[in-house]
Amino acid sequence: MPDYNLRLIIPEIFLFLWALFIIAFDLGTKRKNPKLIGYLTMGGIAATAVLLYLYHGGISFNNMFKSDPLALFFKVIFLGSAFMAVGSSFDIIAQKIKNHRGEFFGLVLFSTVGMMFLASAGELISLYIGLELTTIPLFILAAYYKDDRISVEAGLKYLVIGAFSSAILLYGLSLLYGLSGTTDIVMMKINLALLYLNTNGIGWALLMAIVMVLAGIGFKLALVPFHMWAPDVYQGAPTPITALLSVGSKAAGVVAFMRIFIDGLYGFADAVMFPLDWGNIVAVLAAAAMILGNISALRQKNIKRMLAYSSIAQIGYVMVGMVAVSELGVGSVGYYMFIYLFANMGAFAVATIFNDNTGSDSIASYAGLSKSSPMISAFMAIFLLSLAGIPPLAGFAAKFFVFAAGIQAGYTWLVILALLTAVVSLYYYANVIKMMYFAPDNPTIKLNTPLSANIVLIIGVAGLIIFGVYPEPILNFALDTARVFGF
Amino acid sequence: MIPIGHFLILSAMLFAVGAAGVIISRNLLIMLMSIELMLNAANLAIIAFSRMNNIVDGHVFVFIVFAVAAAEAAVGLAIIIMIFRNRESINADNFSLLKR
Amino acid sequence: MDQYLSVLIFLLVGVGIVLFTFFIARLIRPHNPYKEKNQTYECAEAPVGNSWVKFNNHFYIFALIFVVFDVEAVFLFPWAVAFGQLGLFALVEMIIFIAILVFGLYYAWKKGVLKWV
Repeated sequence: MPDYNLRLIIPEIFLFLWALFIIAFDLGTKRKNPKLIGYLTMGGIAATAVLLYLYHGGISFNNMFKSDPLALFFKVIFLGSAFMAVGSSFDIIAQKIKNHRGEFFGLVLFSTVGMMFLASAGELISLYIGLELTTIPLFILAAYYKDDRISVEAGLKYLVIGAFSSAILLYGLSLLYGLSGTTDIVMMKINLALLYLNTNGIGWALLMAIVMVLAGIGFKLALVPFHMWAPDVYQGAPTPITALLSVGSKAAGVVAFMRIFIDGLYGFADAVMFPLDWGNIVAVLAAAAMILGNISALRQKNIKRMLAYSSIAQIGYVMVGMVAVSELGVGSVGYYMFIYLFANMGAFAVATIFNDNTGSDSIASYAGLSKSSPMISAFMAIFLLSLAGIPPLAGFAAKFFVFAAGIQAGYTWLVILALLTAVVSLYYYANVIKMMYFAPDNPTIKLNTPLSANIVLIIGVAGLIIFGVYPEPILNFALDTARVFGF
Repeated sequence: MIPIGHFLILSAMLFAVGAAGVIISRNLLIMLMSIELMLNAANLAIIAFSRMNNIVDGHVFVFIVFAVAAAEAAVGLAIIIMIFRNRESINADNFSLLKR
Repeated sequence: MDQYLSVLIFLLVGVGIVLFTFFIARLIRPHNPYKEKNQTYECAEAPVGNSWVKFNNHFYIFALIFVVFDVEAVFLFPWAVAFGQLGLFALVEMIIFIAILVFGLYYAWKKGVLKWV
């Protein structure tokens, strides 16, 4: 008899039911109360976090659902990104979305449930379901401004490329399933190793499977060369959704990558056991991501496009820790994503507030912002400097640990390249700050922020400063997640 | 008993046709159909492997993929209808507002 | 392989009969095209406008709801086959599954998409 430990999926069940409740509540109250729905959604996410604290630790459904430290850590990131995305979307809901407010929040929650399942997936089937449940609501959300041509076009591009990449991923998974004869990821590793030792000429089939899975997950991560969709979709989608895409969905991709490549295929990075090393492939892609992301970001005039290219570069830095495949590697990737949550969500929250008040996304229109809204300018400066990795903000510690893991694993060339591109990145982050503080004064508008957006900004800044000065608790938690892989 | 290789070759061909369709075709509906073809190619491979290894996990996998494909097609068609309302076209070459 | 041979022969005969009738028809029919005859047939009216007309959106939404319940059946069949060994837990599970889909139907109903206008 299989074990159904339903206690472990109580947080997911609750969040799912809460999403249905939000949609029904909005229908029942005739869409009169956008603010109340928003606060209910935020409350639901907070309640899920509490439930997650109460019910975790263990394995359920025959390895299909693993509630281990890694899952817990990333679920916190997902809930945090959903919380901050919902918090910064109140003005958008009030101004631009008239008919489908409850569905907006409901879909964000559905997508979050998908990410949570993905983080817990110990098996190819649940991994695939989690990945699709994450992306399909995001297709709809990216196209949410129905009458805005740019938003619909962004949704369309995300749909075509996302569905295409998940089809490639599925084919890769089918090859892995066929070669190993199991869908359980840990069993898969053992069976593949046995198969490889006993059968000649199986290496090419395995390499093909690895490349297809890498392409499928690479699209979700916006890793070069699978990044083409990111700038367009980030620019066109509603800004809080862009933030969710760049943090939540990306962290989901990172955890899926860890589950498949470290848990399922890591034996194959070992040269004695297996000559096919995904580490070098991914290291080259990471190098390309850092170079292309940072160089392209230099030319951008639109803040959302700039942040899109910057997030392509950031995933390159994350992959430096990933290819290390060690305790410090896994831990530093987790820590990096955790800090990235605060910095990127915060930067996009400022972009949302700015767009709600002025209707503009261009970097040039930020000129003189520090004179009319000093607080928000200071916050934006902190977020951008943390993304660039300036001490004492948390972004510095995150980059430091990732690079340390890279050096430890012998990827010195990659770390040197990463340091060089990080210097380049300082230029375009500082450009926005220069605009806000040192540009000749424009006739500027004072930014009005709703209470919820203020909460988001304060969480972001507090997270960056506290975890920058005092990174131990989160870092220890992140290093603890590496136990999952037996490091 | 048909050998496993036949199924795999057929599925690889279907997958290649689907992938080529997505890349070459400029019509959004055909692109969506090609993606469905790719998913079904993977389904065929999964079922063939499942029979080869004599385990039923693959059958469950295929059911799940059916459901996901239906959801994807539904959302995809809805977005295509939306873009048709905005632009009166479903030719992918016309959608380049974001390439600036 | 022998069983398949009969299928193949059946297939060839089937295709052959269709091709044969086309061929015979071509031999004995008069061939006399002119402009009116080549026009699109539209119930004896002169054709108006483009043949690419927009269909009512409701067709699409009904088809969508149909697909949801169609795919649900895919999950119901294996469940029904194995139900004898699964017991009460599976029954509760399936009731929850269907309840979620019914919520979707309720949502569509409330949004007024089930009304034909």
